[in-house]
Formats: sequence, C-alpha cells, structure tokens
Amino acid sequence: MSDSNTLGELFARRGVSRRVFMKYAAYTASLMALPPAMTTAMAQGLANARRQSVIWLSFQECTGCTESITRSFSPTLEELIFDFISLDYHHTLQAASGHAAEEARLAAMAENKGKYIVVVDGSVPIKDGGIYSTIAGISNLQMLQETVADAFAVISVGTCAAFGGIPYANPNPTGAVPISQIVTDKPVINISGCPPIAEAMTGTISYVLSFGAIPELDHLGRPLAFFGETIHDRCYRRPFYERGMLAKGFDDEGARKGWCLFELGCKGPITYNACATQKWNGGTSFPIQSGHGCLGCSEPGFWDKGSFYKPLSAGIGDVGQYIAGAAAAGVALGAASAAIARRRKNKAMREG
Amino acid sequence: MDLLDFARGPALQVALGIFVLGVTWRLMSLLLLPRLRDKSVPKKGTLAAPLAAVWEVIRRTWPDKVFARQTMVWHVNGFVFHFGLAIVILFFAPHIAFFRDLLGISWPALPNNAIYAVGALTVAALVISLIRRFANPVQRLLSGADDYFSWLVTFLPVITGLLANSHLVARYETLLAIHILCVAAFLIWLPFGKLMHTFYVFIARGQTGAHLARRGAQL
Amino acid sequence: MKLESIPVHVTGSATGMAGAILTEIAELLEQLADNNMSGAIDLRGLPMTEEDRIRLEDRLGRGEVSARLDVAGMSEVWETSYPGVWWIRHRGGDGQIAAEEIAVTQIPDILVSPEEDVRAAAVRINAELYSTETSASEEEASHV
Repeated sequence: MSDSNTLGELFARRGVSRRVFMKYAAYTASLMALPPAMTTAMAQGLANARRQSVIWLSFQECTGCTESITRSFSPTLEELIFDFISLDYHHTLQAASGHAAEEARLAAMAENKGKYIVVVDGSVPIKDGGIYSTIAGISNLQMLQETVADAFAVISVGTCAAFGGIPYANPNPTGAVPISQIVTDKPVINISGCPPIAEAMTGTISYVLSFGAIPELDHLGRPLAFFGETIHDRCYRRPFYERGMLAKGFDDEGARKGWCLFELGCKGPITYNACATQKWNGGTSFPIQSGHGCLGCSEPGFWDKGSFYKPLSAGIGDVGQYIAGAAAAGVALGAASAAIARRRKNKAMREG
Repeated sequence: MDLLDFARGPALQVALGIFVLGVTWRLMSLLLLPRLRDKSVPKKGTLAAPLAAVWEVIRRTWPDKVFARQTMVWHVNGFVFHFGLAIVILFFAPHIAFFRDLLGISWPALPNNAIYAVGALTVAALVISLIRRFANPVQRLLSGADDYFSWLVTFLPVITGLLANSHLVARYETLLAIHILCVAAFLIWLPFGKLMHTFYVFIARGQTGAHLARRGAQL
Repeated sequence: MKLESIPVHVTGSATGMAGAILTEIAELLEQLADNNMSGAIDLRGLPMTEEDRIRLEDRLGRGEVSARLDVAGMSEVWETSYPGVWWIRHRGGDGQIAAEEIAVTQIPDILVSPEEDVRAAAVRINAELYSTETSASEEEASHV
C-alpha cells in the first residue's frame, strides 16, 4: 500500500529515468498556466515525493467523475497519476470488495495518518440521520467524518461533491449537501463540473503532491488554474456574439454557420471552467463547438436556473398568465378610478 | 437561489406584473374619464380629430422657431438619450433574445461595439441633462423628488449594462444580476411617476391638437 | 475512428502571433547571450491557431541537433536555426501533442542526464562488470 521509497526510486527500479518527471511536470505546469520555471521545481518535488495515499470516497454520485479521470487524454502521460498516487480505496477501480475493502480503507488511514488525501465524489444526504445513502452499514455522513479526521486535505470532485449537484436539485428529498458543508476543519478543494475535466483533477492532485500545498483557489474553492475564466471569455464563437450574430434554432442558418448560441440558452458567460481551452476527449471538442449551449455544469445550482434553453437575458418564470392577470386588474382599477372621478365631478356639478 | 436567479426569476416577474398593472390602471383611469364634447363649429380647413392629434405629436418633436435658439441644445440632448436608449434596448442581441422569449417576435441586431458606443453617448446625454436640471435655477426650482428619482432609475440600467458588458468592477454574473434588478426597478417605477410620459406624451399632445385644431388660434 | 477523420474542425488563419513570439524569443536570447539567463515560452497556453504554429516553426527552422525521447510517449527536442533556441514537443501515448515549449538555453534540462540516474547507473555498470550472477543484475525494463 504505502511505500517508503520515493517516486524517483520506484520509477528507477522500473528502468524509467527521472526524465519522466520532467515531461510530466512540463505537461502539468503548462495545463495550470504555471511559469515554465516552475517545471523543474515540480519535477523535483514529484521525484522526491513518496507515493501519495489517496482514499476515494464515492457517495451520491453517478461515477461520471471516475469515468472522466480514467478516460485519459494522453494515455501513458495521464496514467502516470495512478503511479504517483496509491489509490488505497476506490469502489469502481479496486479489486477488493466487502469487508476486505473497508479494512483496506481503515488500514490506509492508520498508516498514513495526517498525510493522506481524501477525494470525494457525490454529495452526502443528511436528512433523517443520513439514512438515504449507506455503505457497509454506515451512513455516508459517518464514513466521511471518520475518514477525513486524519486527512491532510480533501478534494471534492464533481459538482455533486462540490456544490450538491443533481441530488441537491429541487426538491432535494434526501437533504443532500456539498462536502464543504460537512468538512470545515480541513482544506477543501472543489473541482466542479459534471463531470470535471480529467486534467483539472489530475493536474490539481499533481500540484498538491509536488508542492505539498493547495493551489490558488477562487471564492468557491476551485483552483484558479482551471476555473479562473468563463467559457464565454475563451469561446471561439465570441466574434459572432460581438457581432450580434446569434443562432435562433438548432438547425437554422445561423446554427449551421457556427454562430453564437446565446439565444439557445448558452450559460457560457456565467460559467467558470476550462472547457473552451482544454476541451474534451483530447482536445477534440466541447459542447459549444458541437452545437449545444453550455449548461453551466460547474456552477452551484445549475439544475435550478430555469430551462437550459432560455437565454441568460430572459426571465426564468412563466410570465404569460401573470401579465394577463395584471392587465385585467389594471383595467379594473382604472375603471374604478374613473368611476370615482365621474362621481366627484357629477357631485361638484350638482352642488356648484 | 443566488442573486442572478432571483433577478431573472421573482424580481422580473413581479416587475413586469406591476408594470402592466400600473400602466393599464393609469391609462384606463385617464381614458375612461368623461369626454369633453366641443359643440362649437370648427374653423375652415380643420383636420379630422385623429389626424390633428397625430399632426400635433409630430409638430412638437421639433421646437418652434420662436424658442429654437434657447432650447435647441437641450432638445437635441434629449433626442440623443431617448434615441440612444431605444437603440440600445431594441438592437442589442441579448435584449432581442429577451423580447423573443417574452413576446415571440425577433428582429436583426446591431454589432456590440456599435451598441456600446451608443450606450456611452446615452450615459453622457443623461448626465448632461442632470447637470442642467441642477444648474439652471428655473429647472432646479421646478424639480422635485419624482424628477430626480425617475432620472436615477433610467440611468442605472444603462450604466450597469455598460459595466456588465465590459466586465468591470465585479464578476459578470453579479453585474448581470444587478443590471436586471435595475431594469426591474425601472419597470416598477415607470407607471407611477414622471416616467409615465412614455405613454401620456402621445395622449396629451394628441388631445391638445385635436381640441385646438378646430379653434381659431393658429398653432 | 481516428481523431483526424472526425469532421469537427476548428480552422483559423494566421493572427500574427508568430511575430510576437519571435520578438520575445529575441529578448530571451539576448538575456542568454549577455547574462547566461535561461528562459522559456509555453506555447500551449498561447491563443495560437494551427497556421500560427506552422509559421513559427518554419521561421525558426532547424539547426544541427535533434533528439528523440522515448519517455511516457514520444517527445522531440531540436535546436532551431538559432543556437540557444530549442523547440520541445511532448507527445502523449497516443501521439497527441501534450505540451510544447520554446526553451532559450544552452541545453534543455530534459536532455541532461539526471544526477540520481547517473549515480544509479554507475552502481549498476560496476555491478554488471564485476558480478558473476548475470540474472540478478538484469532489471525489468518496462517503459511506462
């Protein structure tokens, strides 16, 4: 499980030189927009680090985050993360199951006390004592609290863990909450997205591993390296937005010419993520490039912001019947005012 | 629910509701008042009442020769900010998307940088009109809370719109929420103060034209 | 289906970025020449179109030295026609470009044999030369 050898020594035993760290550091530093000068520091940090114990807890989740992190962009380069960390507990990827799996988790916690990282995907339900999601006979809440007690840091991957996500959406019957609402005494990094971009997860873990520190975070606890800019600010269709050329339907002339998708509900302007620069599937494409507006999946409450297809400049609620009622009421009030005025006039004329 | 959800949701619903209710109320309370029937004989060459009404509205868009020298600058300033406001509201692509969602109709947009320039001119004209209102002794005497407040609720949407589009001062989602809330404030206030001239100006000028066209005084 | 045959293309013409980068390279090269200070430019982080990248590569050209690295996928390092200006292109296991930078230095760090590996190699070669058991000194060389 844990190894007293450094990563440098582990790779050397496999006949791989320390150049692998330089290459990996160059790749990661580039992803996180770190100055090239930091590459050497990161490479050395990695080479001298011990395999990082990582305990991955999965709660109310769909496993999409695991799917994302294992769909490596650069297989071989991306897979290195699984050499750098010792994934001591992971429901989908581990070989053990049942009691053996839980024992492995507890043993990793004991052996790496104060030094292991807890990665969480999925939200935690707390209503009715947390009975709506249980694993190995204990509630998610209990498992989270006992596992993070001696952790070094917590990384919430996916919008569910970071902000509540799908389970948190209206009406939230299970009382789902984000991890940061439960863990308040350890550093928590939020890597949101539904799912998050693989490089956002691996890059952040690598940073923590090489420098033993948390990267710079935004006001929602997300690494600025990946969540510092909105999709809109880096979107290649921005020139069309600036020229007022918006597609009005999914198959109209504008859509076929690749015009801006603002009117089709794109939430790009208020969504912070790296989709427009990193893209998905090895830089192939991202939703807007494929013709669909951004859903805003890395933002809190994105399921409850009204239709995905209503533009940001339009109201969320249904105004139609509301307006009709208001107009009717206005006419009634106007008629009443006019009636009062007439009565006063007639009275004045009679008296005068 | 964050600020933007509130602005796009309940705030806009309530504002539009109050706007429609207020405008219909005030229009109906005026239009349902007893009509003055003029039983005198109209002078020769009088236009029919509706035509006279329309003509009066058109005639008043430009100052009379007698007043031109004194009022021209301020008249033009008024044109700049009224037309500027109309252009920004009606021809900015995201605004057109708002109207399409609300009313189902759409029309071509102008490029963003053109809208931005017009918006900046509108802000300038609005500020000039405020300075004039305050500096000119007669205007200062005549101006009350309604005037200044109406100016403020008109100015805020324009300036917050410009700020949002240029991503200055705060995060975009916050600026957008504030812009929408300022528009909501404008909509709520409009029917109840001096801003109601939006609808009244046509009725008042038209009425004057229809009445006095048949009289001897040549306007 | 290969990546190239997916009909989703983002095309663009040259934006003049190549010229801007060349100016920065010139400055860095001057620093290297005068003060022996190395520098680097990360190409991935810059908003370059394909056309820009091709123009930059053509403009810099190739010099006398080129190296191929077989570590976690293929990497290419070559000295451009300007001594001291090196182009480093890292590819992942599937051949996609993972990272790319221009290093202005006498020799890129990644080409230099790491100290710890040299020390380990010295130990190994001695062990192999003077050991009677050949099997013990053979290591499983599995390239990651």
